[in-house]
Amino acid sequence: MVGEELVGLTPEMIEASQAGMKALGAGLAVGLTGIATGIAEMAIGSAAVGATAENKDVFGLVLLLTVIPETIVIFGLVVSLLLLF
Amino acid sequence: MAETSAGPVPYVYVCTRMRVRKSKLIPREDYLRLLNMSIPEITRFIEETQYKREIDELASSFQGIDLIELALSWNLAKEYQSIQEISPGILKRFTRSYLRKWDIQNVLTIFRGKTQGMKPGKIREILVPAGEMDRVFLDRLVKEENPERILEALKGKSVYPVIAAGFATAITEESFAKIENELYKEFYANLLSEAMSGFKGGKQFLEYILLDIDMMNIRNMFRLRADRLLEKAGTMMIPGGTFSIGDFEDLIVLEDEKDFIEALKSKLKLKSLLVLLDELSSEKSLREIEIDLIKVQLAQMESLSKLNPFSIHPILTYLEKKKYEIFNLRAIARGKEVNLPTDRIRGYLVM
Repeated sequence: MVGEELVGLTPEMIEASQAGMKALGAGLAVGLTGIATGIAEMAIGSAAVGATAENKDVFGLVLLLTVIPETIVIFGLVVSLLLLF
Repeated sequence: MAETSAGPVPYVYVCTRMRVRKSKLIPREDYLRLLNMSIPEITRFIEETQYKREIDELASSFQGIDLIELALSWNLAKEYQSIQEISPGILKRFTRSYLRKWDIQNVLTIFRGKTQGMKPGKIREILVPAGEMDRVFLDRLVKEENPERILEALKGKSVYPVIAAGFATAITEESFAKIENELYKEFYANLLSEAMSGFKGGKQFLEYILLDIDMMNIRNMFRLRADRLLEKAGTMMIPGGTFSIGDFEDLIVLEDEKDFIEALKSKLKLKSLLVLLDELSSEKSLREIEIDLIKVQLAQMESLSKLNPFSIHPILTYLEKKKYEIFNLRAIARGKEVNLPTDRIRGYLVM
């Protein structure tokens, strides 16, 4: 089946298609992990703001806790960079 | 409404704030230290905690026990109002309904104070304007000359119909107990209908109301049995909880204490309450039993707030714990004022 579909495609076209798929994969890796990070940070961030409103001393600590889900998007970024380069 | 437009975020925010506030409540060790202090030392101690602003504000006009009493009432009212302000959507509605309990307490305090000839200033000290009636309105009620004028001023408020219906009897009998009972029955009936009206989070609110009704009925059973007030006891029961009026009347008339405890246990499911009833000895006084019941209720509320971390439970748990902190501080201050022995004061504390 695959072979039949590829009939008529030049090697340049196949290469271009592969590059496009890579770019799409890289985009999805960053985009989806970005959304996941946002969802995770939503609850942590609101709890952090609540805790800081009551006790300003915890600001540094809650800031650290809020950015922990950033690792998810960083992993996504690493994967996308590996795909592209 | 906030809960539909912003998802769980406002719930997380407000419940976290409640948890932080709860962690700032006075711990058991500090109560034990407070028991060994004099009134000025207690004032200084609470000035270093969450009560600083109120103590500083009132220190120029009041002193001693009056200063503590007023500062505690002001702080409690301020706290309750601030929670109403920060609560999102439906939680605000539930919190507001729950705080109407204070309207009943405030109005009855004013009626009782007036009929006993207390000075307006003294009545004002123990009012907590946390419900529908604000400080200005309560001040107006306190300034009225007689109970009839107070009743007139209450026209249009949610408590008016019940008070008006029983007012004449209360004045002739010089007792507001029946009105109080009817007001609480109406209050809980309103809470139940609100919790069951299909709002999001109503199920959790209902869990709390049923717990509160059951604990109140159990407390009333112990009280009625201790005072041997067995006639028409069913009218004192708050409907809606585990007990029916028939159960309530059957339980109260049981002569033997052990039979009563066993029959009570057969109606209940709450584990911590069953453990308490198992350990209940006949040597315990009514006051000690009541304090134990309050502790069980608070522990149960705490576990409910852990089961439903972003619901009405964390808010209600904090409100109740804050209320008992105020009660404890007031008990210590009043006890010290009349030179009660430390052990006796300790028996009144919920810690």
